[in-house]
Amino acid sequence: MSSSAAAPIGLSWAPQLPSLAAAGGGSKKGSAPTPSIDAQESLWKPSNQLVDGLYVPPRDPRKVNKMARKSVKDTTGKGWFDMPAPSITPELKKDLEILQLRHVMDPKRHFKRSGKSKALPKYFQVGTVIEPASEFYSSRLTKHERKQTLVDELLSDQKLKNYRMRKVREIQVARTPGGNQKWKNKGKQTFKRAKDRRK
Amino acid sequence: MRPPARGGRGGRGFGGRSDGGGRGGRGFGGRSDGGGRGGRGGRGGRTPRGRGVRGGGGRGGPGMKGGSKVVVVPHKHDGVFIAQAKEDALCTKNMVAGESVYGEKRVSVQNEDGTKVEYRVWNPFRSKLAAAVLGGVDNIWIAPGARVLYLGAASGTTVSHVSDIVGPTGLVYAVEFSHRSGRDLVNMAKKRTNVIPIIEDARHPAKYRMLVGMVDVIFSDVAQPDQARILALNASYFLKNGGHFVISIKANCIDSTQAPEAVFAAEVEKLKLEQFKPSEQVTLEPFERDHACVVGGYRMPKKPKAT
Repeated sequence: MSSSAAAPIGLSWAPQLPSLAAAGGGSKKGSAPTPSIDAQESLWKPSNQLVDGLYVPPRDPRKVNKMARKSVKDTTGKGWFDMPAPSITPELKKDLEILQLRHVMDPKRHFKRSGKSKALPKYFQVGTVIEPASEFYSSRLTKHERKQTLVDELLSDQKLKNYRMRKVREIQVARTPGGNQKWKNKGKQTFKRAKDRRK
Repeated sequence: MRPPARGGRGGRGFGGRSDGGGRGGRGFGGRSDGGGRGGRGGRGGRTPRGRGVRGGGGRGGPGMKGGSKVVVVPHKHDGVFIAQAKEDALCTKNMVAGESVYGEKRVSVQNEDGTKVEYRVWNPFRSKLAAAVLGGVDNIWIAPGARVLYLGAASGTTVSHVSDIVGPTGLVYAVEFSHRSGRDLVNMAKKRTNVIPIIEDARHPAKYRMLVGMVDVIFSDVAQPDQARILALNASYFLKNGGHFVISIKANCIDSTQAPEAVFAAEVEKLKLEQFKPSEQVTLEPFERDHACVVGGYRMPKKPKAT
């Protein structure tokens, strides 16, 4: 009971960490290099930090809380039944982006604006529609029409493709310099492009 | 197909709330044609609402076809989701995965950790609660874990979605008078543990008082001339102080000679006399003709005086 370092037996239990014991000579003190910082934050621990092969959480409650907060999975909470935040892959990102740009896909369809923020949603899930048996013939994509991602599905529509190609051609025509075909815009930074910009 | 769109008649707020949801839900993410279920004009009368369970489901719903990919994101209201693709559709998380209740579409999701989740598409043309949600109502009070008394459950199409929203921790008491549609309701409740079907007249809550506990929310969809009284009666038995009510009012069923706005205002006045405090009213216009949905509180505690 001399100091806080020596905790009374029975009230709390201190891990016998060989590397942390400053005064006592640890058995493998010289052998193991000190763990790097990232090793401290990740759940994986080098074997010299384990006690009898088991991981012992730090005693500092603040550190424990921090670790607990990190290990909790990021979800929407119980309001939406713990919908998880998926890790964003390039495919998922493209799906979300095409959803935000869907108003330009089809000239005949109009959408209510989803909000001012252009940020991609954090919590979402990508799913497949299952039709009821009564709509087997009327509202089902054939195996050929089914695609892996939303982007593939939207891009495979022939009607939309025609519209898209036409729009691209229109823009290209508008952008080409008048008269001589040789007056080409070479890149964004050319003099002619600058003139275009001024228009 | 769709009831003709009318001008004007937006939702009005009560008590200083300006955002009563005025005409919010006209174009919910670009509904395509074929969204509506054909003419549903002359429904009503007594509590049974003759609505076949699988009647004409073929045309309904958004234009998402089976096998297409959708992105499911949380909605503003707890427990409600939106499936986004070329079109948007309201969804609830299916309590009984792999089962479709009334022939609606489902969305199956595989999570990263291998677990499977399923959502059911919620058609606003078949459900007044969904229409109110799309109409931009501020709060439906039906959330995960809530206990809900549902008056006028009919065959249980909306009840199944309410049961999805409240989830396994919540509870739905579904009251329906008609045996015919009550049969469908009971069959639906067999698979959903949080639904308690009650085949009784909602005018006599004393008959089922032993079955129903205290509830947080009462949803009332009884198209009856005395629906305000029915709601008040049930609230006095089962609704907790500071609980909430959601009532859908069909103007034709109360007084077909008066203008719908006048009918709604009269009903709201009746509610105010019964210790209800309506907070907002939205029209269900693009989905239902001459309907309004009123949301509010019951025996709300007095606000502490500002010191």
